[in-house]
Amino acid sequence: MAGLAQALADARPRVIAALAAQLRDLDLAEEAFSAACEAALGEPAPIRDPAAWTYVTARRRALDMLRKREREARAIANLPEPDIMGDVITFPEPIPDDRLRLLFTCCHPALGQEARIGLALRVICGVSVARIARAFFVTEPAMFQRVTRAKAKIKAADIPFETPPPGEWESRVGTVLETIEVGLGIAYRDAAGVGDTAGLAPELERLAGLLAELMPDEAEAHGLLALVSLVRSREAARVDATGTMVPLSQQDVALWDRARIEVGRAALDRANALAKPGPVQVLAAIHLTHAMRCETGRTDWRAILRLYDGLLQFRSNRVVAINRAVAIGRAKSPCDGLAALEELDSENLAGFLPFHAARADLLARAGRREEACAEYDAALALEPEAAEARFLSARRAAMQAPD
Amino acid sequence: MQYMLLIHEDESVYAGDNGASLLEATLAGHMKLIEDLSSKGVEFSGNRLKDASTATTIRYENGGEGSLHDGPFAETHEELGGYYVIEAADHDEAVRWARMIPIPGKGAVEIRPVWQD
Repeated sequence: MAGLAQALADARPRVIAALAAQLRDLDLAEEAFSAACEAALGEPAPIRDPAAWTYVTARRRALDMLRKREREARAIANLPEPDIMGDVITFPEPIPDDRLRLLFTCCHPALGQEARIGLALRVICGVSVARIARAFFVTEPAMFQRVTRAKAKIKAADIPFETPPPGEWESRVGTVLETIEVGLGIAYRDAAGVGDTAGLAPELERLAGLLAELMPDEAEAHGLLALVSLVRSREAARVDATGTMVPLSQQDVALWDRARIEVGRAALDRANALAKPGPVQVLAAIHLTHAMRCETGRTDWRAILRLYDGLLQFRSNRVVAINRAVAIGRAKSPCDGLAALEELDSENLAGFLPFHAARADLLARAGRREEACAEYDAALALEPEAAEARFLSARRAAMQAPD
Repeated sequence: MQYMLLIHEDESVYAGDNGASLLEATLAGHMKLIEDLSSKGVEFSGNRLKDASTATTIRYENGGEGSLHDGPFAETHEELGGYYVIEAADHDEAVRWARMIPIPGKGAVEIRPVWQD
C-alpha cells in the first residue's frame, strides 16, 4: 500500500498537469485527482499502472463533477466524449506531458508575484501550503489566500495553459527557475528527504531537465539542472544510520552518486559555454566545488569563498551572507568567520535557524564552548526538522564532554 | 471570452506645447489598432470619453440614495479616457491587443474579463 501511495504521489505532477490543460481549472484538476487517488487506494485488485489508472479515473470524475455544474458547460465541450474512454483500465492511453505548460501558467506575470511560486509548488508538486508558507516566512492563511486568488484569476481571466513563445520567456523564466530552486529547499528542509516531501526532489530534477531541453540557450536553466543534480548526488550521504544529519563537509564521499555529479558538471559546462553568468550558475559552481572532494580528498574553501563573493553580486540576502561567513570560517579562521557574521544585521537574524546553527559551529571551532552551547540551544529552540535537531544536540553534547 | 481594455491616461500631456501633434499621433495609433482588429476579424467595440473634467460621480456611503459629485471617481493623475471591448481567445491574446493601445505619457491599460454566463 505504501508503494501505491508513493506511486500516486509520483504520478501527481504529470496527471494534474494533463488534467489542468484539458479542464482549464486547477481546483477541479486537484479535486478530481484526489478523488481518483482515494479510489485507487480503495481498489481491491492491484493496479498495474497507477499513473494511467489515476489519470483516466480522475478525468472521468472531473467529467462527472462538471456535468453537475451546469455553468461549466463550455469546459465540457472541450473534453473528449465520455464514451470513447472505453475500458480505460486495460487500455490506458498515454498521458500527455503538460507539466511545463502548467509550470509556465503558474508563473504567468499576470498573477501576483508573491503567489506564483507557491501556486506552482502547490499545484504541480503537491507541496502543502504550510510548507510553502514556511519557505516564504509568511503565515499559512496568507499563503493559502494568495494561492486561492491566483487559481481563481487563471480561471476567471482565462489565462492560457501554454508554454509561451520564446519572445515572452524573459518575463517568466526567472520565476520558473526560482520555483524549482525554492522547491529544492523545501525538499531538503528535512535532511533525510523523507516524509510528505519525499518524491519532490526527483520531480524537480525532471522539471529542470525538461526546462534545460526547452531552453538550450538559457544559461541559468543549465545552471539549475546542474544545481539539482549536484544536490541530489548527495542524497544517500545526508543522514547517517541513526537518522542524524551529516553536514556536507563531513559526508562520506563513497555515498555520493558519481553519475549525478557528472550530469551536474556537464550541465554547468554547457551553461559556462553560453557566457551568460547568473546566480544559479554560481550556486551550482559552489556545489560542484564541494563535490570535487570525492576526487581530491579535500574541500577548496578558498575557491568556495570566492564563489560566495561572486554570488553576493547577484543576490545580497541573509542566507548567502551566512554561508559566506561559514566559508570564511573555513578558508581563513573561525574568528574571521565570526567577525563576518557580526557584520551582519544580527537583530534581523535573531530567530533565524541557519544563523544560530552557523554561529554555533564557528564558536565551537574557535574553542568558545560555553557560547557555542548557548548558540546550539538557541538553534534547537527554533524546532529544526528531526535529522538536524539530532545533529545539533549531538554537537551540543560534544561541547560538554571532557577532552 | 470578452475582455474590456480600460485606458487610463494622463490627459495633461495633450494640453502641453506639442499636445495637438501628440493627440494626432495617439488617434492615429487608435485608427491603426481598429484597422488591425477589423482585418483580423476580431469582434470589438470601444469609445473615447470626454475629459475627466466633464465627469459626474454618484458616491455611496452605505448604499442609500448616493450623492452627486463633480469629477471622476478616482483621485489620480491618470483618468479613464476610453475603452475597448474585444473578443479574444484567451487572456494573453487580450494582452497582446492591449499592448497596441498608444499611451504617449504616463498611464495604464487595465484588462478585465467581461462576466459571461
